[in-house]
Amino acid sequence: MAVRALTRGLLGFRYSRAATVASPCGGHHYVTAPSAKPPQPQAGDVTEKILNQPLEKADFFRVAELFSLKDLFDARVHLGHKKGCRHRLMEPYLYGCRLDHDIINLDQTMEHLQLALNFTAHIAYRGGIILFVSRRRQFGHLVETTAKDCGEYAHTRYWQGGLLTNANIQYGPGVRLPDLIIFLSTLNNVFQQHVGIRDAAKMNIPTVGVVDSNCNPSLVTYPVPGNDDTPAAVELYCRLFKMTINRAKDRRKQMELIHGLSAPTSQIS
Amino acid sequence: MAGSRLERFGTVFTRVRDLIRSGVIKPKEKPLWYDVYKTFPPKRAPLHVKPVTSPSAKKQETVPEIFYSEDKIRTGFYEQYGRGLRALDLSKSNFVSTCQRFVDKYRELKSHGMLDKSSLFEETGKALLKEGIILRRRGAPPVLAESRDPVLDLKLIDMLAEQQSAGTDTTKTTEDKNS
Repeated sequence: MAVRALTRGLLGFRYSRAATVASPCGGHHYVTAPSAKPPQPQAGDVTEKILNQPLEKADFFRVAELFSLKDLFDARVHLGHKKGCRHRLMEPYLYGCRLDHDIINLDQTMEHLQLALNFTAHIAYRGGIILFVSRRRQFGHLVETTAKDCGEYAHTRYWQGGLLTNANIQYGPGVRLPDLIIFLSTLNNVFQQHVGIRDAAKMNIPTVGVVDSNCNPSLVTYPVPGNDDTPAAVELYCRLFKMTINRAKDRRKQMELIHGLSAPTSQIS
Repeated sequence: MAGSRLERFGTVFTRVRDLIRSGVIKPKEKPLWYDVYKTFPPKRAPLHVKPVTSPSAKKQETVPEIFYSEDKIRTGFYEQYGRGLRALDLSKSNFVSTCQRFVDKYRELKSHGMLDKSSLFEETGKALLKEGIILRRRGAPPVLAESRDPVLDLKLIDMLAEQQSAGTDTTKTTEDKNS
């Protein structure tokens, strides 16, 4: 389906520089004069606090619990392509080559996947637009249903040249572009790099991508070395992304409730 | 909003950072992901890498071949017994193939330490036979050898020779008939 771009106006949040708070679990926000101040600066401060609090912890959304090395192995994530199809930039991510079959290093995949899921969770927490892209026809429906289940967007059809770079003319002025693009497969149907990777880099949009042993990981912001051909592996990725995004959004609602309920008086977070 | 479309120059982050620093992007227009990237950067900065054009670039093998010590046993097994009678079922993660059982039995017998290398193979084969796994030697005639159809033993050259001689006979007879 085509990108359903939201024409949201500028968010009302004021972004200040990310302040490093000394206490690990966020400072308590005490307000001494309850009725004198107008509500808006308080709302702004509270929103800032909501936004900055997750950045203080290494794994605020506990995405590392969602998968284990055994899960990756059982889903055949470690199986790469044959030696002849290997991309030279993927060599650091390979464990070895077993009878000409490239085997991806799952220890590295674990770390990369944790970073990628963490980033996705933070973007979803901040209300960012996430776009799932995959040109594999085999998984088109799966990717679309995944996006629908998390309330985000998917683009599994032909990528028109000016989708991101010419969005203002193709979709009308003031279009809001995605804040994160997740590639379930970075190649298009002719085994070339998907145009979306280059376009996202052009439009300063970070990308998360599953890179197989025949892909070019250089422009992907958070590459995840892994198999992108096996249904089991792709189902695993879709499930993981869906769970992280839903978790992050639920957490955001929770935080807003916690802070919203006790905004005028002292809060205990 | 201002942007920088130079994907081959620096990373997404460095470009946005420099635009903010120079004042082109106002602090309140900062992208959503900027703070998150700053706090949790990726392991490798996503710089564009130029493709290597010259084919004379270094061809070192940086990806090691994966071989195990049991591979020697496996090659011996496959040489002697062919592909194995039982098919491999890769959908089960705890599946043990005939070859793997052979390897396990071989290592077990080796650890007992009584036999030497040459007889270890034979002994492993015998031990597996005792357990009930049939191993058929490669190159051995198939089970239906006795009931092989004699037609299959005919050679093509003989058949052609037969046909030619039969053909000359028939042409002679047809000529006789036509004339």
